Amino acid sequence: MKVPAMLHFLVGYLGTSARRFWLAAFVFLVLGLPGLANGALAQAQDTLPPLGQLKTMSIEELMNIEVTSVSKRPEKLSEAASAIQVITQEEIHRSGATNLAEALQLAPNLQVAQLNSYAWIISTRGFNALFSNKLLAMIDGRTIYTPLFAGVSWDVQNVLLDDIDRIEVVSGPGGSLWGANAVNGVINVVTKHSADTQGLYASAAVGSFLQDQAAVRYGGHVGEKLSYRIFAQRFDRNNTVVPGGEDNSDDWHLTQGGFRMDWLPSGADAVMLEGNLYGGSEETSPRPSAMNGGYVLGSWSRTFSPASAMQVQLYVDHTWRRDVPSTLTDELTTYDLDFQHRFPVGGRNNILWGAGYRLMDSDVRNSTEFVGFVPMSRTMHLFSGFVQDEIALVQDQLKLTVGTKLEHNVFSGFEVQPSTRLAWTPDGRQTIWSAVSRAIRAPSRIDVDYHIPAHPVEPGTPNVNGGPNFGSENVVAYEAGYRVQPTSLLALSLAVFYNRYDDLYSVEALPGTMTYEIQNGSEGETWGAELSGSYQPARWWRLHGGYVYLGKDLRSKPGHAFDTSILGNDPQHQFLLQSMMDLPGNFQFDVVSHYGGVRPVPHIPGYFTLDARLAWQFKGLELSVVGRNLTKKRHLEYGALIPRNVYGKVTWRL
Amino acid sequence: MAPVEATAYERSARRGRGLAHWLVLATLLVASIETTAAQTTPSPEYQVKAVFLYHFTEFVTWPRSAFPEAQAPLVIGVLGDDPFGAYLDETVRGEMVNGHPLVVRRYDRVEQVEGCQILFVSPSEAGRLGRILSRTSDRPLLTVGDTDDFARDGGIIQFVTVRGKIRLRINVDAARSAGLTISSKLLGLADIVTTSRS
Repeated sequence: MKVPAMLHFLVGYLGTSARRFWLAAFVFLVLGLPGLANGALAQAQDTLPPLGQLKTMSIEELMNIEVTSVSKRPEKLSEAASAIQVITQEEIHRSGATNLAEALQLAPNLQVAQLNSYAWIISTRGFNALFSNKLLAMIDGRTIYTPLFAGVSWDVQNVLLDDIDRIEVVSGPGGSLWGANAVNGVINVVTKHSADTQGLYASAAVGSFLQDQAAVRYGGHVGEKLSYRIFAQRFDRNNTVVPGGEDNSDDWHLTQGGFRMDWLPSGADAVMLEGNLYGGSEETSPRPSAMNGGYVLGSWSRTFSPASAMQVQLYVDHTWRRDVPSTLTDELTTYDLDFQHRFPVGGRNNILWGAGYRLMDSDVRNSTEFVGFVPMSRTMHLFSGFVQDEIALVQDQLKLTVGTKLEHNVFSGFEVQPSTRLAWTPDGRQTIWSAVSRAIRAPSRIDVDYHIPAHPVEPGTPNVNGGPNFGSENVVAYEAGYRVQPTSLLALSLAVFYNRYDDLYSVEALPGTMTYEIQNGSEGETWGAELSGSYQPARWWRLHGGYVYLGKDLRSKPGHAFDTSILGNDPQHQFLLQSMMDLPGNFQFDVVSHYGGVRPVPHIPGYFTLDARLAWQFKGLELSVVGRNLTKKRHLEYGALIPRNVYGKVTWRL
Repeated sequence: MAPVEATAYERSARRGRGLAHWLVLATLLVASIETTAAQTTPSPEYQVKAVFLYHFTEFVTWPRSAFPEAQAPLVIGVLGDDPFGAYLDETVRGEMVNGHPLVVRRYDRVEQVEGCQILFVSPSEAGRLGRILSRTSDRPLLTVGDTDDFARDGGIIQFVTVRGKIRLRINVDAARSAGLTISSKLLGLADIVTTSRS
């Protein structure tokens, strides 16, 4: 095989395996920390409606308003010193989204492209590629990444959408708290407390692309202090279409069940236990691929005072997948223990620190010798710790946050990730902030252990020998932003950033040989702006949306040669608008429109999408008709043509 | 908001110029920051509690003897340090319930409480709760509070904050001895307790 052909094959191969196997983005570290949670929890305070509207609310509605932050350390969203966006349950419900990836399309600062029936590519601030790996994603504090790939398999991260309380999306390094791989952003899915999902919920949908979806949930309680819910759901999704017009043979089926239990033994303690199991299949060639998994997570938090609290969390997560196209079977068991504690020192300092340990048992089976992981199995330990001090330079006005994370992973050893953040809140309704952070993307197994072929070769034979010397990719990010909430009806946020990356991924032949190795041979800069806002023109009409501009210049480092276009096929512009209208007669009419700009290599034209939902509610019953991707019969976002999807849905709450 | 600005806003809205509409609106809203921020609004918690107090007038029936005359005002009293500020007054301004105009009065001591139908007992009175409730329990007075065990100690409605949201706890014994009728709708949404006999 000639060298360019070899490289082409590798890239194509990696692309295929990524597409088929571990889609999209991201990586990991310590759990969802209070700083982030506070930002959004307190959003309720910011969006407290004006008096005239409060007075027209029913007692039930008043009882649903969040008036104090659970963490008892209120930080308004308008005061959050980062590019955080929050997707609310209401926005998810009204968008007609049918799974988590579709719900993530509602974050103006995320780039979400649907690849085929079951695969999405999700990133922020660029690097939108089959390999997207610079984002940390979590569900209730559980990191949902595979260390095999430093990315998330979005097709097995299913959540009953009605269980979601909110999704917090931070673009930019998660600061020192979130650790490795929160390079360009953090996604944190937070589910509802089980006391908020009491009673029976059942829904059923039938449609064209989403063929059918059914869910049932029951929530109950034992005494005043213990509440629980159990749920089960199932869906079948149809095929997408290949550009030639034929069926892409990628229909997708999944069944899932789970529970959550919350116990409040005292006013100061909260204990939570949750878990779930899933199993599913995806049509692939020549045989279907199969996947299953489950997890159990427990946490205990204790509040000592409004400014002081601690939390311990433990989870065990198991996933298995037989991926036919990539000829790999992957089994992963993760054990994770985390601790965090925050307390004030003097009148000006708030310390937050934490520590974590994670054990990952990764077991890959290569079904051919032609390509695979060498070694097939690895046991990986990850130790991490962080400390942060939030210093009130001027009480309630000027806040400086400095912190760092220290971690040790099996591939690159010790890593330090410091950050500093300054926020000025002149009057409680506006915040001006800036930050400088260093963040790393630690090596994953595919960066180090990937071999073609998976057996030793004669000298002179073209081969890929993994990445024995691959180290962490890193970024220094400079950010600034402005948030303003002039009234409870209008909120605007602008963030700008300039990122300098070094030691980015490359695949190159060792000089004078046919042996390719994965190296850190790329570098570059990205820059951009994110504008977002929400506005309520009338009591019955709400809007939210945003615009993102992204510029970039990626290249090989001196002495290296690699096609950096593979690192991300990013649109320069993207736009989102969601409209939610409450109409007379208990009708709702809702619209979501997206614009995804032109992607350069390979060329993908820009596209508009339009989703619309009409719903009618009567007591606990809701009937809705949803059309997704209405503008065209089929459109291209990244790989396959995504068909228009029209479905009808019945939801019943008792 | 100044009338001139409002007109500019309306004009741009009529022309239907999307961007101009937004810009004028944004300017207006930013301009209104100062006035809005200058007013001292209570915390969201007490804003919502103020609205609850207003709603209670619709769900509770007082005996005729609670009012000196048919058109007498329905008085919402606040005993102790006032956590609502002007917000409560604004909430009930111009409102009528069954022919009774709603008014707010403030009291420093329980002895001053006269001709009042709803009494919010401020958290500042936590140490004097027993004395306060013993003086009010046999009168047609809806006592409302948010201190711990307010309802079990003989108060009628207690606000309980559970994970950031306000729940209601109602002592049906206390309501009965005050001669008040609380609608089943409100009872259905509340935790029901009885007076503890400790």
